[in-house]
Amino acid sequence: MKQFWATFCKDLLVLSRDRPGLLVLFFMPAVLVLVVSLVQNNILETTGASGMRILFVDEDGDMLAAKVRERLGAVDSLKLVERVDDEPLTEAAARRLVAEGDYQFGIVIPAGASRVFRVRSREQARDAFSKKRREEPQVATEAMPTLLVFFDPTVQGIFRTAVTGSLNQVLMGIETEEKGQELSRALNTALAVRSRGFLMGGTVLGEKELHRLLVVDSLLSVREQPASDRPDRPMPNAVQQNVPAWALFGMFFIVVPLSGALLRERQEGTLLRLRTLPVSYGVILLGKIAAFALVCMVQFSLMLAVGRFLLPLFGTPVLELHGRLPSVYLLALCAALAATGFGLLVGTAARSFEQASMFGAVSVVVAAALGGVMVPVYVMPRGMQAISAFSPLSWGLDGFLEIFVRGEGLPAVADNVFFLLAFFVVTLGLSWWVFHRQGRTGC
Amino acid sequence: MTVRQPQFQPEPASGSEIVVATGLVYRYPGSAQPAVVDLSLTIPEGEVFGLLGPNGAGKTTTIAMLTNLLRPAAGSLRVCDVDLLRKPHKVRRMIGLVPQEVALYPTLTVRENLCYFGRLFGMGGKDLKRRVEECLDLVGLRDHGAQRIETCSGGMKRRANLAAGIVHRPRLLFLDEPTVGIDPQSRNAILENLARLRKQGMTLVYTTHHMEEAQQLCSRLAIIDGGRVIAEGLPEELIAAGEGCRNLEDLFLQLTGRQLRD
Repeated sequence: MKQFWATFCKDLLVLSRDRPGLLVLFFMPAVLVLVVSLVQNNILETTGASGMRILFVDEDGDMLAAKVRERLGAVDSLKLVERVDDEPLTEAAARRLVAEGDYQFGIVIPAGASRVFRVRSREQARDAFSKKRREEPQVATEAMPTLLVFFDPTVQGIFRTAVTGSLNQVLMGIETEEKGQELSRALNTALAVRSRGFLMGGTVLGEKELHRLLVVDSLLSVREQPASDRPDRPMPNAVQQNVPAWALFGMFFIVVPLSGALLRERQEGTLLRLRTLPVSYGVILLGKIAAFALVCMVQFSLMLAVGRFLLPLFGTPVLELHGRLPSVYLLALCAALAATGFGLLVGTAARSFEQASMFGAVSVVVAAALGGVMVPVYVMPRGMQAISAFSPLSWGLDGFLEIFVRGEGLPAVADNVFFLLAFFVVTLGLSWWVFHRQGRTGC
Repeated sequence: MTVRQPQFQPEPASGSEIVVATGLVYRYPGSAQPAVVDLSLTIPEGEVFGLLGPNGAGKTTTIAMLTNLLRPAAGSLRVCDVDLLRKPHKVRRMIGLVPQEVALYPTLTVRENLCYFGRLFGMGGKDLKRRVEECLDLVGLRDHGAQRIETCSGGMKRRANLAAGIVHRPRLLFLDEPTVGIDPQSRNAILENLARLRKQGMTLVYTTHHMEEAQQLCSRLAIIDGGRVIAEGLPEELIAAGEGCRNLEDLFLQLTGRQLRD
């Protein structure tokens, strides 16, 4: 036990004096959690709540542009910009600004769009009540000008879909309303003609009534809410999803300093001295594992503190633990052990510091990508989803999401705990085997 | 003006044998030739035993087997009156190793390093503190105990390396080229320290390429080549037996040849 504590204290002392190592272990993950949560928070807002600025070029100057302006302006996620540098926008200027990346989107309502739109709506409504016109479809008198949406090529598909979806929704509403009005007029006129003046136009189905029917009184509505109906479950948001994910990522970076420490011991000859001592190297390794796992837990606590106290200062929601701290810490401990086990294996098997640091860092990034830290697993191709099931970061992240986002307790993460501990045992066993093999061969 | 080299008078050996190695064989995996073949050695307690040989002769492999770092494929090995191959743990308490590298933690101080290695031997409390100060005194680093290894000079590092090997008061100390790459002052200080340790009754097994140093310090020596002991005995007797040899270096070159070893 004395040897275990001696190694535990020695490794903590060595780590505390390694300033670049401390930077990697504590400062960088804290910055990562902070920046990624803020960035992701903005992405979620952009795709659903507020923020995207769109150039709006009104060459029409009539009803259609006014309605599009009014209804797109009412969408929270979009802000229409019609003047730049106090100058009204032209299509050419808008195209230039978007092409240069100053704005991400531009919408152009072409000249005459309202007029042609009205004419075409009226024609279609009349066609519907005229047998002759139905049997002999009329050629449109004038083609409908196309509304243009152009975008910065760097804009990702999800944002293009969000903007064009909003625009299509607005246009569909305007078209329905306009066609409804024209249909009402055509219907009233038809009824008046067929009743020979007994029913006056507009008395059966008024245009205002139709407008209320088609636009104001919406029967179907959508309300967004989590699948669970339990009130104690946390609301999913960027902080609940990102803080545990990136904290886990940071914890696995213990692989770099741990493998480096093992390699330094080997290269500087201290391992040689340790192997001649009357103490099992297993005891020394356990002391080392305990020290580095403790560092992981401190690092994890720091990440939780960032989510709970620092991120809200930047306007994000507070990280909610909902009384599940023991489950969170048990899972974090298992993840810390898995990370230190992997670090031991890398440090034992690598032949140089460069190998260990490169392989350690890259393998953690790959495991994080596969584990869903960067991109959710459910959007990956099926093959990648299957591979993802073998990433220890996936086991850890799934467990954390169960607790932080689905609000589950310890029983729900038992599998994750088991897999992480099994990974620790396997990596520890492999490290032990490699170490003894090196000892037998003297290399 | 006269220049005097420090003289280390060999102390009389106690008579008992602290290392008895018989027919040791070791072959590294993948190697066509064994590194050590049928090597037998007897080291009396209280001696400074020099293990000499050219590069690749098998010195380091022999030390590795004697310190239980490598297990011989054949042969028997008694160290400190214990069968090393059967009870290695017991032997490890009684031996110390001063590796060729400065095997210390660079970011820890000299004192912290000695305390750590002392604790790994099960020492603690006042006994450990006292022993650490004794070791620092012995190697002349008492005033530098709070200095980090990474900031020490090469000579100070070597002396600290020696102190870490003796903190647990071993009966038998193995030193693998402890004076490599240091200035004459530090080298002289280390040789004086080793002489003091011998006076305290510690047996030293010592490898070096400095023949003059070995001739001064060692009370007994063995020359190894090709994994075998090719000469063993008192330095003066070995030199006298060599045809036309004036010193140990002449004898060494006569026995191992002048061709370069890789």
